Amino acid sequence: MPADSSAIDAALLAYLRADATLAGLLPDGVHMDVATGGAKRFVLVSLVIASDLGQFGGRAIEDVLYLVKAVVFNGVNGDVPAAAARLDALLEDGRFPIAGYELMSCVRAERVRGTEVDDADPSIRWYHRGGRYRVQATPLLTARAGADQ
Amino acid sequence: MIKSGRDGQVLYDAAATLPVEIVSLNKWKLSLKTDKINVTCFGDQNKVYVPGMRDISGTFSGFWNSDELTLFEATEAETPGKLELVPNSTEPTFKWAGLAYMDAEIDTAVEGAPAVAGTFMAAGPWTQPTGVLTQTARRGGTPSRGTHPAQ
Repeated sequence: MPADSSAIDAALLAYLRADATLAGLLPDGVHMDVATGGAKRFVLVSLVIASDLGQFGGRAIEDVLYLVKAVVFNGVNGDVPAAAARLDALLEDGRFPIAGYELMSCVRAERVRGTEVDDADPSIRWYHRGGRYRVQATPLLTARAGADQ
Repeated sequence: MIKSGRDGQVLYDAAATLPVEIVSLNKWKLSLKTDKINVTCFGDQNKVYVPGMRDISGTFSGFWNSDELTLFEATEAETPGKLELVPNSTEPTFKWAGLAYMDAEIDTAVEGAPAVAGTFMAAGPWTQPTGVLTQTARRGGTPSRGTHPAQ
């Protein structure tokens, strides 16, 4: 049975959630895909693309690109640059355990920054800052046990 | 039967007795080229060749795995090891096998996983699978499965 790829997502989220400094900057949590209602200062993680590299008999490497960004509503007192910097400090060459995998690398591939203006009320703005981070992990015990003959 | 290459294998034993799989590889290629000797004579309508000696060599590649040093250890071998090349491990009797010397390379870049590659060349007689079609068509004999001395 191949390793559970969702474990990579879960490990990334757990790693970010465990950081007290990040939680102080973005107290409304670390969310996958969509934040919970009412969140105004939070981390949003989404999967951009995931590619597999094969070897004889199975999967050798999972190469996953995540969008990880700080999202802050302009109506609250949030330090967007500091939050993005903390994300990068955690993730550039980050090390975190992944169940069933060994983390090979975690590095930023691209920086991301933007401002989202609400369609109905232009005074409402959301600031986004972070990056696309490339996580490479190799499943443990991917090789067949010895020869088949 | 046509099979996927996903379950291919490269097996090797430095002692040339019981080869075991080299893990983290994802490609191998075997070349069986026979020298052709030009025996064209006056009056021939075109060039004419006769076969000479067959060369057995090839390449393989995959990912660097710190638990798998066989390739690199093999480069130091002063005696040939036994190499087996299996297109699909669900048909393990269909394989090319024989004594071989190996060379290895590793290629590391800042992006991506370090890759390994190697070459091999025969150091003795090899065996190869004799397929149903080739056996039947060429010799009219009963199709047989498995490995036979290379012809």
